[in-house]
Amino acid sequence: MAVKLSRRRITHYVADNLATGTDVHNTLMQLAGYLVDTRRTKELDVIVRDIEYALAERGLVSARVVTAFKLSYVTRQAIEDVINSRKKSHDIQLQHVVDPAVLGGLRLDIPGFRLDTTLAHTLSTLRTNYKK
Amino acid sequence: MSNLLTQFAAANAPPVGPGIFEALGINWQMLILQIVAFIILVWLLGKFVYPWLMKSVDERKDTIEAANKAAHEAQDAAANAEARIEKLLKKARDDASEIVATAKLESAAQLSASEDKAKKRAEQIVTTAQSEIDKQILAAKAALHNETLELVALATEKVVGKVVTARIDDSLIANSLKAVE
Repeated sequence: MAVKLSRRRITHYVADNLATGTDVHNTLMQLAGYLVDTRRTKELDVIVRDIEYALAERGLVSARVVTAFKLSYVTRQAIEDVINSRKKSHDIQLQHVVDPAVLGGLRLDIPGFRLDTTLAHTLSTLRTNYKK
Repeated sequence: MSNLLTQFAAANAPPVGPGIFEALGINWQMLILQIVAFIILVWLLGKFVYPWLMKSVDERKDTIEAANKAAHEAQDAAANAEARIEKLLKKARDDASEIVATAKLESAAQLSASEDKAKKRAEQIVTTAQSEIDKQILAAKAALHNETLELVALATEKVVGKVVTARIDDSLIANSLKAVE
């Protein structure tokens, strides 16, 4: 049975390998194997979030954007500018999801920051905040 | 008997010269005898009859006085009893009046207390009911408010879902990004 490593050490190991690009597939397989072997698969979400934080510190930002329509080039650029202003990065991986349920606006998730200006969220806030 | 003694004295008396007694028709021997007889009679009466008679009279007098005294005592006792009865009746009337007055006061006090209690209870019921009504009004207002809010949000969703186009969405996103910067 493998030695139990701290989440911090796992995170830094994976982030270093991903940042340098050394054998990415193998690194991810190692991570999966280790979590299964040590029965820590429940920590996967937290570890992935930590890895995203660690990568952001290294200039690699993984962002997730949800909008109701496809993004135009100008809008995508504007989003990347906002991400750059928040995280000094040299590489932004933007994952875009089109979800009509958000009605309008955007929801941007980057490590340590979330921007939700969707109309669905605004209406939800209206429902919850002004409910008596 | 006196007549007999007079005849006896006249037969045995010596003849005397006419004197004042003869002039008056009095035979002094006869007179003496009569005096003696009278004295004897008086003595006999005083010795035997009068004491018995006086004793009887005294007894009768004592009896009458005792009866009189008893009657007086009875009268006094009756008067005392009457006075005592009157006094008792007066006291009973006073007591009865006092009891009635006390009962009236207590009754009035109890009535007043009951009225106060009923009044307080009524006020409490009214206050509770008012409070309950206020709560229900507030709850109804809140429910109405929430329902209105829900309807507004729902309507907005429907309207916005049809109104918002890609261009408008780009504009919305640009505005929100500018606000962040």
